[in-house]
Amino acid sequence: MKKTKLGEFEELVLMTVVVLQADAYGVEIKRELESRLNETLSVGSIQSALKRMEEKGFLKSEFGEASQKRGGKRKRIYQATPHAHKVLQEMKDVRSQLWASMPSMVRS
Amino acid sequence: MNNAKTPNWSRRLLYFFLREEYREEIEGDLNETFEENLEQYSVKKARKIYNREVIKLIRPILTKKMSGTQKLNHYGMIQHNLRVAFRSYMRYKNTFLINLVGLASGLACTLLIYLWVQSELQVNQFHENGDRLYQVLANNSTSNGIRTDRATPGGLAEALAEELPEVELAVTETWTNTYTIAHGETNLKAVGQYVGKDYFKVFSYELLQGDKDEVLSEQRNILISDKLALRLFGTTSDVVGKIINFQQFRDYQVSGVFKSPPSSSTHQFDFIMTYEEFKELNSWVLNWKNNGPSTFVILSEGTDLEAFNLKIKDFIRSHNGEPNITPLATRYNDLYLHGKFENGISVGGRIANIRLFSVIAFFILGIACINFMNLSTARVSRRNKEIGVKKTVGANRSSLIFQFLSESLLMTTVSLVLALILVWLVLPEFNHITGKQLSLVFSGELILILIGTILFTGLMAGSYPALYLSAIRPIKVLKSQSASSKSQLWLRKSLVVVQFSISIILIVSVIVINNQIQFTQDKNIGFNKDNILYFEAEGQVELNMETFLQEVRNVPGVLKASSTAHSFVEGGYTGLTYNVKWDGKDPESSVGMEYMRVNYELIELLDFEITTGRSFSTDFKAEYNKVIFNETAIKLMGLNEPIGATINIGGRDTQIVGVVKDFHYKTFRQEVGPAYFVLKPDDTWLIMTKIAQGEEQETISRLNDLYAKFNPDFSLDYKFLDQDYEAQYQSEQRVATLSKYFSGIGIIISCLGLLGLASFSTEMRIKEIGIRKILGSSRFSIVRLITGEFTKIVLIAIVLALPISYLITSNWLDDFAYRIELSWWIFALAGVFAILTAWFTVSVQTIKASMINPAQCLRNE
Repeated sequence: MKKTKLGEFEELVLMTVVVLQADAYGVEIKRELESRLNETLSVGSIQSALKRMEEKGFLKSEFGEASQKRGGKRKRIYQATPHAHKVLQEMKDVRSQLWASMPSMVRS
Repeated sequence: MNNAKTPNWSRRLLYFFLREEYREEIEGDLNETFEENLEQYSVKKARKIYNREVIKLIRPILTKKMSGTQKLNHYGMIQHNLRVAFRSYMRYKNTFLINLVGLASGLACTLLIYLWVQSELQVNQFHENGDRLYQVLANNSTSNGIRTDRATPGGLAEALAEELPEVELAVTETWTNTYTIAHGETNLKAVGQYVGKDYFKVFSYELLQGDKDEVLSEQRNILISDKLALRLFGTTSDVVGKIINFQQFRDYQVSGVFKSPPSSSTHQFDFIMTYEEFKELNSWVLNWKNNGPSTFVILSEGTDLEAFNLKIKDFIRSHNGEPNITPLATRYNDLYLHGKFENGISVGGRIANIRLFSVIAFFILGIACINFMNLSTARVSRRNKEIGVKKTVGANRSSLIFQFLSESLLMTTVSLVLALILVWLVLPEFNHITGKQLSLVFSGELILILIGTILFTGLMAGSYPALYLSAIRPIKVLKSQSASSKSQLWLRKSLVVVQFSISIILIVSVIVINNQIQFTQDKNIGFNKDNILYFEAEGQVELNMETFLQEVRNVPGVLKASSTAHSFVEGGYTGLTYNVKWDGKDPESSVGMEYMRVNYELIELLDFEITTGRSFSTDFKAEYNKVIFNETAIKLMGLNEPIGATINIGGRDTQIVGVVKDFHYKTFRQEVGPAYFVLKPDDTWLIMTKIAQGEEQETISRLNDLYAKFNPDFSLDYKFLDQDYEAQYQSEQRVATLSKYFSGIGIIISCLGLLGLASFSTEMRIKEIGIRKILGSSRFSIVRLITGEFTKIVLIAIVLALPISYLITSNWLDDFAYRIELSWWIFALAGVFAILTAWFTVSVQTIKASMINPAQCLRNE
């Protein structure tokens, strides 16, 4: 896990992007995460996480369609890069290994 | 879909900080969230969430970069400019002080005038229905033009409301008067009037207690102001239902308490009674031929005023009123400023003073700005090196313009602070002169105005130096010393010409205004108004007038005593009748005559000059059908042998016994009209006494005692005739005092400018003067050399200013029927005064220059 530096919140956002696939744009991500985490998130926190991960090469993006609801402004659809998939997989592996080696009283 | 918009300011904030490449996406996201929130929450809450979201977007990764080519601010440059400005102030203290004093006093004058104009514009503007509130005036077509009067038939309001559908509400109001009212042991004087039922619906005077539909419904109701309630009962609560005695004559029940009219109201009164009661006591008002009360109407929305006036043209005639009177509805809000009528049309009024002072304010500020412009450009040679270097290093023109503008804005800001302090200091005195209660309250509007003034003055004063100095060519400046071109010198001089022209116009105006005022005070008005004390007869005094007068004549210090119904000053008690008929009178024409009902001895008391015939006298019998006309009336009637002729007055044959020389019973604004005296002691209610000079106080206290003996329940409320007479010219008096001050300040500011220029120009020519002195020039010729330059400028200013000031002053004087002549010496005086001040101003500099030691100024070359 060298040079990846994926924060906890960033990881959640990244996974949501993967889950949402073609629907992965700002508000939708926010909505999905809010319902899963059961808490309110600000546009700012989502956007800054997205921008940071794009900079680090976890995400790429392109403009999608506009809608009246958005005041004629286009969406930006995010997609996880192969690198991101690899990193996610790595993290999951590390975690499950750690879980496996934990004493049983914590596990239950 | 909901139409609610996202909040403007936070969207703008977003554009300000958000990186451009993210704008579309993030704004879209925000919009979508906003729309969703709208479905769930109120618009207000959705907007609140939006604002919060925008604030939360301020994160380093999303905001524009602070460094690099795109900068968020110019702090560095501003700091530099301020430092340079500050250094130049410190270095050239004289210029700085002249600018500071000039601009500060100019701004202070402008601010004072602004406060005054503002309060004038607000007079009577507080009525809620102001846009539909009209006063119905009466246009009397007489043989000498149409006279517009506020007095209308007493039944007009009711008839208008009844017969015309456009009239939503109509109300009658009588004149205000001072009466004695009492409750229990307390009795005091208060100002009251009688008004129609819907008074509080038509006017927006605030009712503290009582319902505006009910308070005037009972005939014997009385409403009092909160202040009067405090004076009379010591409290404002629970006074409704109490009984007030009026003039020791009748009891009235308090039905409500109103808040004392604000100072912005021209109507000031302490209590109100019903018009129904007035009608019962004054049956004459029911006759449509008699005019007296004022009439106000509220017209329904969308009524066309002109059409309405056309419709009511014959209204008074058709109700058997005076056939020559046409009612004229005029917007009540406009009457205060546009209350002067000529031939039935509004021709201005107080608005003229507002215009006058606005122009003066603008002039003074202009003079101060010119000083600033002149001194800054004059100092160009001092700063051209700085500009040259800056330009060489790469400053572009706009940044230099920015530098000079920010310098002048800084100057104006400092001056404005000083001006505010000045205003604060002189405001009490200013209030005293103007008779207003102005105060410096920092409302949002005033702050906006102040910022506007800073920008306007700063840009106006700084524009020329900024544009001129920034255009300097660096090579020229750095190579040679001189940068002031011919055209620039020319401009500077013409600005001084403008300054001095304005000053001269101000001087002429001040002389003319003051002369006219003096003229009105000194002119023989046809009677002697000095040491005349008068008061109203009330209660027992009114009932036993003759006995009282006899006793008054016995009071030591009283020279003469009589009674009258006419107070011989405008705004007091007057009377006008159209009921005079004589042989040969055109039956169609209508002539209004002022009539004075007097007692024996009044004509002698006021020293009216009888030219032919005699005065009223107890030596003759049946004086009650005798009359004394003034000369104008005799001329109007075309009587060659007036004495003994018979004239029909009000249906009664009356014999002329005397002719009195014309006298001014109105101001000099109006020409003396026809007037007459009749002897009617029973109709008089003003006691006039001539008292000996020097012991006024003792005489007054004796009169007080006598009055109290007759009338224990009344207090004596006396007035002096000469004071009332002067009050007629109060507004001119104010204009005179104010214009004196403002012109003085204007002149001082222009002299400051001249001083600055003179010192600069002697400095520039210091080498020339040195050489001249070496070659043998005398001190005097050097003084003459420099003075001559400025003399020329001032002479040109005089030539320009005199015709303009002639036009302005003769226009102002047109307002007066009796006025001073504009003689040449006024203009000569103003011119000489201007030249002398200019000489005096520059003399300090020139004498200093002439005494210079040539060795010193020629040493360094």
